[in-house]
Amino acid sequence: MAPAKLLLPLPFEQIMRRHEGEIMRYLLRSSGNRADAADLFQETWLRAYCAYPRLDPGSNVRPWLYTIALNLCRNQARDGARRAAVIIADEEANPAAERIGKTPRAQVENDGYAAVRMRELISALPARQREALQLRYFAGLNYPEIAEVMKCSPQTARANVSQARRKLKSLW
Amino acid sequence: MNLEQFLSGAAGAGDLPVEELLRRSRKQFERMLKGMRRPEVAIGVVNSPLGDLLVALGARGIVLIHYLLGGDLESIIAKLRLTLDPVEDRHSVTGVGAEIRRYLDGHTDALRSRVDLALATTPFQKKVLGKLQEVPRGAVVSYRALGAAAGAPKGARAIGNVMHNNPVPIYVPCHRVIASGGGLGGYGGGLSRKLRLLRSEGFTLGNAAKALPVSVVWGHKDTKIYCRSGCPAVQRADSARIVFFADSAQAKTAGLRPCKVCRPAL
Repeated sequence: MAPAKLLLPLPFEQIMRRHEGEIMRYLLRSSGNRADAADLFQETWLRAYCAYPRLDPGSNVRPWLYTIALNLCRNQARDGARRAAVIIADEEANPAAERIGKTPRAQVENDGYAAVRMRELISALPARQREALQLRYFAGLNYPEIAEVMKCSPQTARANVSQARRKLKSLW
Repeated sequence: MNLEQFLSGAAGAGDLPVEELLRRSRKQFERMLKGMRRPEVAIGVVNSPLGDLLVALGARGIVLIHYLLGGDLESIIAKLRLTLDPVEDRHSVTGVGAEIRRYLDGHTDALRSRVDLALATTPFQKKVLGKLQEVPRGAVVSYRALGAAAGAPKGARAIGNVMHNNPVPIYVPCHRVIASGGGLGGYGGGLSRKLRLLRSEGFTLGNAAKALPVSVVWGHKDTKIYCRSGCPAVQRADSARIVFFADSAQAKTAGLRPCKVCRPAL
């Protein structure tokens, strides 16, 4: 009699080797600096390692990893905002909003700072639209995957991305 | 640069040089993980005369043997994953199946693999299973006697629990534990497997046996004397000190002398 087929998840090492590059790129792009990205990277994989036994072997690893990464990005943004509020309490409520539009577009293009300006615009988007846009373009997830990460329907994910794009286009 | 270019440039994931950062972060991550890493085990299903067995083999020995009786494979693996990192590897576990087969065929020294009691979590479990490993082939003890040996003279039920949760049956011989009165007790893999194992260890037991046969001798741990089943001397003795042997020869090998009242054979 043939031995029963085992339904085993991939070893964690293999998951990590396969996805660490894209997770790092996603974190770099959405956090915008290397130190934060490195911290978030550690934390993401540590959480993933601890939670891995409870992940159903049949389920899709990629959205699961991005769920962890996104939650950590949110935490970091929240804590960062709190810290900033303590240190520079008298500055304007939303510095990102203030900066937007101040740099003339021609200069942006001339100086090759398009990416910087784009980052500013993206960071000023409403949270869910920004997150959906980042998952779509920085992480390269498809809509069903984004929906899984953001706990919404694929239609909502698609709508969030397209609204974000429309907003960026109008501001660009 | 327009919006589309920017976004599609970002989507082409290969452009961002992250190798150096990744290398450093990975090293740091490994360091952070050091104390909390789950040990890796090779797992696979092996065929044996006792049916299919799920075997998990770690670096320090066999971690788990599980009788596959129904469709409980998924739940047992899910449980295993909480403490270990299982990797499917049929080749490294087939040796265990071969050892069990040889053992049941009567090769007394066939069970050579080491045992790792990593899944026995409580100190009591570890202690009881350690004591149990001292029970030799050809002998059986009662739940009560094992409890007494492990420092829990009133803990026969607790011993039953530990046996039920024995992570490595066959190698850690929980089939050598029976009821104090000579009844066979139960077995996680079903009583027929317990009978089969005990038969291969020298006990004469029929397929429907419910108790040890009268041919066993009762040994006393302190006096080092062994008796026939019905001997009045043994009936006065504390049942927590009794070890059952398949026959007189086994008792003699264990260093006991025959009783002068009932004069067991040999």
